Amino acid sequence: MQPAAQSQAEDLDCLRRLASGDQASAAALYDRHARPVYSLILRIVGDEGEAEDVLQEVFAQAFRQAIRYDASRGPVAAWLLMMARSRSIDRLRSRRTRPEAQASDDQHAMDEMPGAMPDAATSMLSEEQTRIVQRALGALPLIQRVAIELAYYDGLSHREIAERLEEPLGTVKTRIRLGLLKLRDALTEARI
Amino acid sequence: MSALHDELKANAAGYVLGILDAGERREFEAHLAECGECAAEVASLRPVIGVLATAVPQVTPRAEARARVLGQVIPSLGESREFASQRGIRWLPLAAAVAVAAGAAIYAARVHQQVVDLQAQLVQAQSATSVLAAPDLARIDLQGQIVAPDARARALWSRTRGLVFSAANLPPLPAGKVYQVWVVTEQAPVSAGLLVPDVSGGGTAYYMTPQDIGPPVAVAVTLEPAGGVPAPTGDRYLVGTPTPGV
Repeated sequence: MQPAAQSQAEDLDCLRRLASGDQASAAALYDRHARPVYSLILRIVGDEGEAEDVLQEVFAQAFRQAIRYDASRGPVAAWLLMMARSRSIDRLRSRRTRPEAQASDDQHAMDEMPGAMPDAATSMLSEEQTRIVQRALGALPLIQRVAIELAYYDGLSHREIAERLEEPLGTVKTRIRLGLLKLRDALTEARI
Repeated sequence: MSALHDELKANAAGYVLGILDAGERREFEAHLAECGECAAEVASLRPVIGVLATAVPQVTPRAEARARVLGQVIPSLGESREFASQRGIRWLPLAAAVAVAAGAAIYAARVHQQVVDLQAQLVQAQSATSVLAAPDLARIDLQGQIVAPDARARALWSRTRGLVFSAANLPPLPAGKVYQVWVVTEQAPVSAGLLVPDVSGGGTAYYMTPQDIGPPVAVAVTLEPAGGVPAPTGDRYLVGTPTPGV
């Protein structure tokens, strides 16, 4: 079995046992994923105390939804990371003083993020693949990387990024797209 | 290809990143259903998101966080616990713990390998992002000087988080020369770092600057010998003073 597939099989086993009331599997799920999940949360919210709050929310949601988890949704690791990102960005948004954003239903748009589920194949990268991705990241023009980071880690919209970088909306969309395409090509090259 | 298609396709990356607003998302999803080209682009961009999720500095949460997370699960599973023990699967926790300890170690090692090298690459971009979000952000627009009247640049500086510098229309570098960026204080110019523009004369860079320097009265770019110099010696190509209140 491939490492990623084996890891996924173990995760699914965890969720099944969790759903049947086995508490040790909650600890198991936590121990397998807490570090990458917490790291992503901390990167987004930037504060350890708040990051721990979000970490608790994410695993509470995972424990609640374990019984309904559909394996066809993709890897458990990616599911946890997606919840981590969406809850962290919810936290950032509630911190920002933008009444119109808080009032709209976009507040919870991140909970779904239909497009944002990573592929199974990317949850584990080999050393060689990592080096290729790393080179691609390093090779991105800084402004493209910054625009992608503001989108992914700060959850800013195209318009908000355009305001922040003082660039036209179309330019920002192009920068983000070109940056992601370059990373994609590097992934393809690495057969990830 | 229609203009509408091009406009919608420009949102494909934003869709994958989950940053479209509700209206844009609905519109794009409707388009996706009937546009193979956009659907292919979305499918091809998704793996990139997985890389972004794990390419952050890896930090282990405190042990207290684990206790808190697992403390919450006990009441919520209280009812089914009795059920589980009646079915005679009490042995499961121990067996599971052994299996999981082995699995977790392999997993941790793999994730570790995956992120360690990426961290170094991302530190620079993360620092640049943090400058933009700094509470003490100062903006300094630079104008081209006599030797490069068309050149222009913008510096975003935070005492604690460093300097993001972006220049355009700089003349090509003569052999053996490099541009050097200076934060000028009342005491002395402090070197921020070197800048090598691309073929179009543009360049963006991030520099850490010393936190203990005096308030900047200007940011300047000079032409210096390759490798840079401790104090400016060459022609000034760009100079700007802080914009008040930004």
